[in-house]
Amino acid sequence: MMIDYLPLLILFVVAAVFAAIAIIMPSLIGPKNPNKMKQEPIESGMIPFTDARQRFPVQYYMVAVLFILFDIEVVFMYPWAVLLNKLKVFGLIEMGFFLLILLIGYVYVWRKGAFEWD
Amino acid sequence: MDLSSIDLRAIGAWFHGLLISSGMSQTGIHVIEALVGALLLLIFGLTLVIFLIWLERKLAGRIQDRLGPNRVGPYGLLQTVADALKLLTKEDVTPLDADRVPYNLAPGLAVFHVIMALAVIPFSNRVIGADINVGVLYLMAVGAIGSMAALMAGWASNNKYALIGGFRVVAQLLSYEIPLVLAMIIPVMVSGTMRMNGLAVAQGSIFGFGWFVWTLPLAFLIFFVASLAEGERAPFDLLEAESEIVAGYNIEYSGMKFAWFFLAFFMNSWVLAAIGTTIFFGGWQGPFVDQLPALGVIYFLGKTMILFFVQAWVRATFPRLRIDQMMSFCWKFLVPMALVLFAAVAIILKLNLPQPLEAITLLVANVAILLTGVTLLGRTQRKALYAPKRAFTPTIPRL
Amino acid sequence: MTDPVAQLREQFPDAILSTSDTSAVPSITVKPETLVDVGFFLRDAPGLTYDLLSDLTAVDQLELASPLEPGARFYGVYHLRSVSRDGTLLQLRVPLPGGDTPTAPSLTGVWPTANWHEREAYDLLGVHYEGHPDLRRILMPDDWQGHPLRKDYPHGGEHIPFSPTWEDEEFKFLGQQIMKAEQRPEAVPGRMDSKHMVVNMGPQHPATHGVLRLIVELDGERIVSVEPDIGYLHSGFEKQAESVRYKDFVYYTDRMDYVSAMQNNLAYVLTVEKLLGIEAPPRAQAIRVIMAELQRIASHLVWLGTHALDVGGTGLALLMYAFREREDILDLFEMVCGARLTTSYMRIGGVSADLPPAFVPRLRDFLAILPQRFDEYGRMLTDNPIWRHRLEGVGYLSKEDAIAMGVTGPLLRASGVNYDLRKAQPYCNYDQYDFEIPVYDEGDSYARYFVRLNEMRQSARIVQQAIDTLPDGDFWLNDPKVVPPKRELLDQSMEALIHHFKLYTEGLKPPVGEVYYGIEASKGEMGFYIVSDGSAHPYRCRVRTPSFSNLSAVEMMSKGHLFSDLVTVIGTIDIVLGDIDR
Repeated sequence: MMIDYLPLLILFVVAAVFAAIAIIMPSLIGPKNPNKMKQEPIESGMIPFTDARQRFPVQYYMVAVLFILFDIEVVFMYPWAVLLNKLKVFGLIEMGFFLLILLIGYVYVWRKGAFEWD
Repeated sequence: MDLSSIDLRAIGAWFHGLLISSGMSQTGIHVIEALVGALLLLIFGLTLVIFLIWLERKLAGRIQDRLGPNRVGPYGLLQTVADALKLLTKEDVTPLDADRVPYNLAPGLAVFHVIMALAVIPFSNRVIGADINVGVLYLMAVGAIGSMAALMAGWASNNKYALIGGFRVVAQLLSYEIPLVLAMIIPVMVSGTMRMNGLAVAQGSIFGFGWFVWTLPLAFLIFFVASLAEGERAPFDLLEAESEIVAGYNIEYSGMKFAWFFLAFFMNSWVLAAIGTTIFFGGWQGPFVDQLPALGVIYFLGKTMILFFVQAWVRATFPRLRIDQMMSFCWKFLVPMALVLFAAVAIILKLNLPQPLEAITLLVANVAILLTGVTLLGRTQRKALYAPKRAFTPTIPRL
Repeated sequence: MTDPVAQLREQFPDAILSTSDTSAVPSITVKPETLVDVGFFLRDAPGLTYDLLSDLTAVDQLELASPLEPGARFYGVYHLRSVSRDGTLLQLRVPLPGGDTPTAPSLTGVWPTANWHEREAYDLLGVHYEGHPDLRRILMPDDWQGHPLRKDYPHGGEHIPFSPTWEDEEFKFLGQQIMKAEQRPEAVPGRMDSKHMVVNMGPQHPATHGVLRLIVELDGERIVSVEPDIGYLHSGFEKQAESVRYKDFVYYTDRMDYVSAMQNNLAYVLTVEKLLGIEAPPRAQAIRVIMAELQRIASHLVWLGTHALDVGGTGLALLMYAFREREDILDLFEMVCGARLTTSYMRIGGVSADLPPAFVPRLRDFLAILPQRFDEYGRMLTDNPIWRHRLEGVGYLSKEDAIAMGVTGPLLRASGVNYDLRKAQPYCNYDQYDFEIPVYDEGDSYARYFVRLNEMRQSARIVQQAIDTLPDGDFWLNDPKVVPPKRELLDQSMEALIHHFKLYTEGLKPPVGEVYYGIEASKGEMGFYIVSDGSAHPYRCRVRTPSFSNLSAVEMMSKGHLFSDLVTVIGTIDIVLGDIDR
């Protein structure tokens, strides 16, 4: 069983080495004439007013929270889906309850307006 | 040459024999075989991207009544190579106030995640990097690295456009992960396996009639739309909308570092097309594939290219969505539809109907849910469309 | 009672200093202190309703032998139009007190569009508008010295000689000036909250169609305020006009709205003809109409393609489709005048050359396929759900706001105002042609899309009628004082030779006077205000460009929308920076 994962481990190492080369290579090849103007962040040709890292709106954070909630729920569904053929009707009913709880949360979030962009 | 000889687990007899005759231990043989396979995958991936970029540009050109690249090499095939060489010679500029560690790590991570995703793609019955029993879950896990790379790039660049792009990445890639995963669970339910190759095998080989796209068209549509969003493809390319935030999270990257993002983008598109092919279009299945296993690779690549072509076609046809539209389309349309479909398919499967009847019921359920969803969407949208939105009340001094 | 002079006399007995009636446009000179009241009255009085402030500028009379407004160095001049009464024009003049530092009351309270125009007059002429909320330079850099359009402003003054050699001292440092990195970031504009993200959009941005710079205050993705910064393409054409002869300024007009050169030529040429009191022969008029309408189609095609590109991304195929037809139009232009973009085809008194024999058949072929092509664009966009979602309700401009902001052209017609100078004040015999003015009430970007799409169809109709009824005859006026005689005549007639010589050495000299004339260009009212002192050069040439006023409404249209909508709004205004900055 674990031998299945050996190619993944090897690929992990190969991909990591390749990524490392990808990161290091550009700084070795190519000219290097840095100056202050060139290293300014690009903001349509103007010097930026302020630093970019400022407060950012809460909507994005909401999306991330929603994602974590839903994604974990969906991941729990996967083993159930694989075993569906072997499960009795009880399994189906159990998933029904699982979905119902998810649905309550979903409707609540919808009503709260978390899916609106404001 | 029998292409099945590049199977990573049962690598061709000549190579296996070669290793055994050298007197190596069993583990050593496995490691070397896997290493060769991994390098083959890597080389395949990089070559593929060179071709894909050319293909996309050529397609875009033809759709737009242009010629597309046609100068470098035959049919302009070497255009991408020339571009890559040019990018190699460009200066690598790092913004002054950039957060250097994530800034430099991001392009590497972007490349890393697409190469890792290639591992579980079944090119043919036995040509697969690692046929692990949680293939679908593995793809989800690896895919998440991609959104992290984009967010890191956006945050580290200290650029406002990059930051907005990075935020949009979070909003979009995370949101569309839900319908994508929900759409992928449905074939898993029907076939009872999470192995990628198992999913392909489950779709029978009677000339495509067993493909899940026929019995589960809605699941495929949800998957395809979500995969456009996950692949940052138009009309969901608002995270790198060049007319708004110029290039989004990769705006500050120059030279080869930009090229790695570009490479990751195209390989990601292709991987999503490959997943779609495997899950819904029977993967490597096709006529005479049992007699001649090498045909499987050709079938698989051909089907994937067709899906890739549709992605490029959509790009030429649809304008870009706005962030609020993108969000509500996902959460208010795709997710509920996918949840309903999930429940419906689960119930139908538990009815234990005889085979042709089960397939027909699944198809009917899919179409019915799709039509209901579209009708409901149309009704709410019509309301929104015809009521003029006045975001503010203008005030002009009158006498 | 629609006589503005009589009504004004009745309402403000002591406000009027003088009245005149130049080129059939009533002109009223009022006392500066009464200007705001007069403005309110003219705008709102029933029967007058001069609700659109077309143009606002000032004139420096320093070198004028017989000043139009004696007793003051500067006078302010306002051109008002009544949108509800067929675009009737009224000129309002105010002698500005204060000598070398003139002051004038600000009209921003009456017409918000005066905001930018007054800033321009302040920038270029140094007129201080009292009560202006934000009197800053608009076209010239903030640290510019002096006011360039004043007559005592030194000409030239460049440090690098006109034809430098590589040995010149300047070249040692040329190119190094961009390395000077000691610039400090500007302060965030005062009205913007530094808690929000303040982003520069432009001058080098793919969606600002050139070098427009917008300072955008964002709350997340929501636009809180927008501050346009223009002038990056300011070329000083108005100053330039004062040192070139009348016929030579045609070439400069090409470069204003550079996707619509024929229209600019036409506006200038018609103004000068008005000043001279002449009119081009019928064939020339018909050719002008053909060219102007083809140019309108070409300009709208550029708009369609780039708007789709802005909203849709580089992959969207429509750009190339729209440019395919535009190429055909540019080919037609090339046939008549050899140039594609900067045509300079119109001449004072006619057009530069007659239509070549192959032109009309080719134009007919083109017109035959054009409707199908318009249908094709419609199929690609009109019912495309994403296109509708991106455009509907975005950039809403009410009828009242549009007029108050001095917005003209398709934008005004999409806000439900049936106003088109081709119908309201016909020129070039536009009244002979049968065409309709598309008007939509919604006032959003989607309505503007329909207005422009239908305008292209109507333009094609006009061109069709114009070539069907193309009169024979001269394509240039037969007036040797204005138009150089034909080449053959020079060999035969001494008189012709003398006229030719005089025209090319002295240039034509219009009588002393002033004139304002506007036409309906692709983007709105394009007008020229020319003051002549009897010499061969214009004394003052003011250009009223449509995009300048249209752009000033950008904040009104985009406030409260999302960042992506700003791109839609810029696209829907159809800006050309050459038209704005001049």
